[in-house]
Amino acid sequence: MKNLGHRQIAAIALATFLLLMAPQLLKVTQIRMLNEIAYFSLFAVSFNLLFGYAGLLSFGHAAYFGLGAYTTAILLKRMAGTPLLLSILLGGMAGAIGGAIIGFFCVRRKGSYFVLLTLAFNQLLWAVAWKWRDLTRGDDGIGGFVPKNVDLGILTLHMASTETMYYVSCAIVIILLLVAWYLMKTPFGNTIRTVKVNEERAAFLGYNINFSKMLIFTVASFFAGIAGSLFAVFQDFVSPNVMDLKMSTEVALMTVLGGTGSFLGPVLGAAIFVYLSDWISSLWDRWEFIMGVLFIILVLYLHQGAIGLIPKKIRSSFKN
Amino acid sequence: MALLEIKNLQKDFSGLRVLFGIDLAIEEGERHAIIGPNGAGKSTLFNLITGKYTPSQGKIFFKGHDITGLLPHRILHSGIARSFQITNIFRSMTVFENMRNAVLSKRRIPYNIFSSLSRVNGIIEETERMMSLVGLLEKRNDLAGELAHGHQRALEIGLTMAMDPELILLDEPTAGMSKSETLEMVWLIEKVTERKTLIIVEHDMDVVFRLATRITVIYYGKVLVSGPPEEIRNDTRVKDAYLGQERVMDAVRA
Repeated sequence: MKNLGHRQIAAIALATFLLLMAPQLLKVTQIRMLNEIAYFSLFAVSFNLLFGYAGLLSFGHAAYFGLGAYTTAILLKRMAGTPLLLSILLGGMAGAIGGAIIGFFCVRRKGSYFVLLTLAFNQLLWAVAWKWRDLTRGDDGIGGFVPKNVDLGILTLHMASTETMYYVSCAIVIILLLVAWYLMKTPFGNTIRTVKVNEERAAFLGYNINFSKMLIFTVASFFAGIAGSLFAVFQDFVSPNVMDLKMSTEVALMTVLGGTGSFLGPVLGAAIFVYLSDWISSLWDRWEFIMGVLFIILVLYLHQGAIGLIPKKIRSSFKN
Repeated sequence: MALLEIKNLQKDFSGLRVLFGIDLAIEEGERHAIIGPNGAGKSTLFNLITGKYTPSQGKIFFKGHDITGLLPHRILHSGIARSFQITNIFRSMTVFENMRNAVLSKRRIPYNIFSSLSRVNGIIEETERMMSLVGLLEKRNDLAGELAHGHQRALEIGLTMAMDPELILLDEPTAGMSKSETLEMVWLIEKVTERKTLIIVEHDMDVVFRLATRITVIYYGKVLVSGPPEEIRNDTRVKDAYLGQERVMDAVRA
């Protein structure tokens, strides 16, 4: 952190201040929206680790989001007394384990075969969530599992408060975004980019292609799992919808909307997506239509995504 | 024991037989050129040794270990590195990043997550040393895809050499080069492969006779003859193989 410029420090300070003060400045509905943006940001960034960094297009990324959501929900419901943070961490682990197993098979195929395999596994898990009623309660869903108070030793969180939820989500998401950002700066992150740029040359320079892809698949699934857990805790309700095809396409949409070429693009994309879908859906029932049109326009005319609208000068001052 | 030993190596591509049983032994320290008319199977042989393809039959031994059918990265780490006939580099990365990719892999730390890329000990120095070895130090911040052809070829060789291999396979290193570029490349190859074992596929006979201490001629998927350069130069079978092709070419032109 030594090499941060004055402007970056100022920007970080301002952002921190705004995030801390938001509950004082905003209405409850708006805080709820920020909360949604928080976990969808993490979800979209995890999608972009695969798509933007590794060049792997997954059409089944909701599977790991769903694994995280169900794991947290079932743990809290069936084993009351499980610490909340532990249940969120285990949600991430469930996503990672699912990602490692499914990734093991998917990375053995390329291009459209890879995409279709991710989709097939997603549908498989969705069907399990739908049919295994003893565990998941099928389409009735699982609800009412978040404890009222969480004792962290130094302070007690009142989970019914939107404000508390907001701070919990924000803290976890920001920590994990920093972890993901740091990972991409290590030799591991470099390996992921290298394999994307030229797989054959990488293999003949001693890089294990399938293993590298499987690792990033697992890492991305871990973050998706945590995002899903946060979703479950925030909604206090989980149904098969958390891992349906719509969720898988929406995360792709958010990511491309924001821009796949930079780390923070997907965060911007998640913010725009949540805000727009809330606003447009209050105007018209068929809001997905407008979102679809918007998506098409963006892909056709704004290759860098929404982040491309921010002047280069400002963006480059955030690069590190 | 030979460093590399190839026994009865065969390759079929769904019915099309390219190699009909190659036997070859490469001794340590040898500079071995493989020549032969187009389509003789030279590149296929390279691709089998380095793991791009799996042989249909036969065995490959490196330092006495069976490496037949291993994945490319396993073969690389056993000590065999190759360059490609068609330049194969990380085009959207800088020269520095290209070379660093090789150095990171050679150091066996591609999955390190405990230090930032810029702070891994000695990585920058080693990358710079390799760049200067192939004369690309001043180009360090240029995108590899935007380099001149000759520099791209040098980078290709540099990536291969950065792995510090015991056995080097160069696939037509002077492909598409002018006379003067070729001279520079030969000089570079002599410099970087000093005291190493080298197998080179090359069409330019000047290059072959300048570099090689032994030559193997492959003709229609078989070893036609193998021996020291002088022997090959005067071998009538070799002349027939090449002249035969020229006669065919003449017939096509006529």
